[in-house]
Order: sequence, then C-alpha cells, then structure tokens
Amino acid sequence: MPDAPRAGDTAPSLSGPTLSGAGFELSDHRERPVIVSFLRHAG
Amino acid sequence: MKVVSRRDRIDAAGGLVVFVVHDEPDLVREVMLDGVEEVPFPVVVDLERSAYERWGLQRVPWWRIWLDPKTWKQYVQLLAGGERVRGAGEDTQQLGGDFVVAPGGELVYSRPQRRDDRPPAGLLVEQLESAAG
Repeated sequence: MPDAPRAGDTAPSLSGPTLSGAGFELSDHRERPVIVSFLRHAG
Repeated sequence: MKVVSRRDRIDAAGGLVVFVVHDEPDLVREVMLDGVEEVPFPVVVDLERSAYERWGLQRVPWWRIWLDPKTWKQYVQLLAGGERVRGAGEDTQQLGGDFVVAPGGELVYSRPQRRDDRPPAGLLVEQLESAAG
C-alpha cells in the first residue's frame, strides 16, 4: 500500500458509484476545491 | 459528517465535499444516515476499498484503536454532548482520513487517521476556503 499523499502532492484518483446511484469522478471537479473525507466505518 | 453543517460556507467558496465509505449502502443508510433525509454531497461507496488503498489509508489491529484512551475520551465527550451510541460498521479496523484538494488537483491538506480521530470540521472548511482563494 502506498503512503498517504501529503500536502503538495497531486491528489490520487477517486471514482465510484454513490449512494444516490450516480457515479462520481474527482477529476470532473478540478476547477473547484474539494474536501475528500474517507469515513472509518458506518456508525 | 459534521462538515455538512457548514454547507453555506462550502457553497460560498464554490467548493464540494465528497464522502467515501466502505460499508454496504443499506448499512450506511441505516446507521450513518439515521435521521438524515438527504446528504447534500456525494457519498462514494468503495466496497473493495481500492480508493482507501490508493489514498494510503491503513487498517490497524483492533487494540490500536480500542485500547487507546483518546478513543474512549472522544466517545465520552460525544455522549456528554448528547450523541447516542449507534452500531458500528462491519469493519472497525479500517482507518479513514481527510484531505482538501485545491482547484487543479493539488492537495493542500492531508490528515490520514492514525487512530479514531478526525480534524475539526471548521478546520477543513477553512482549508477549503483558503484553497478557493
């Protein structure tokens, strides 16, 4: 597993289905700032 | 998901929040979104945890989380603040993390979890506002 990216690095890719059934692609939002929050678990 | 309560500031900055989960959608809706009609931001379901791996987010032995006094301190503070105990997901050993990506794709903030901790939502929004210029 790679180390977590650091500030200054290019963000890794992120894509996948969403709860609403739509798809998400981080690179589609390159014109805006984005908070990416990986949750530890439901609960 | 406390950052959702800062939606006005996020919208004003032209920003977006994306949550990533690794639990089954039904469990996420039942446990995580209990009482929440709709999350105003995308919630990506990563059952294979490929994104967790790509972003370097580790799984740790259970004792590293549950024998850490800071974990228990957080739960006590949450309960004292009126939160209630809810069921946990299937895998409590997977760590998460919070990142802020600037326009163009550069990370301006990186905080992978080392235990059951998260940065304050206000800090994430400040980073987002700063990245927006």
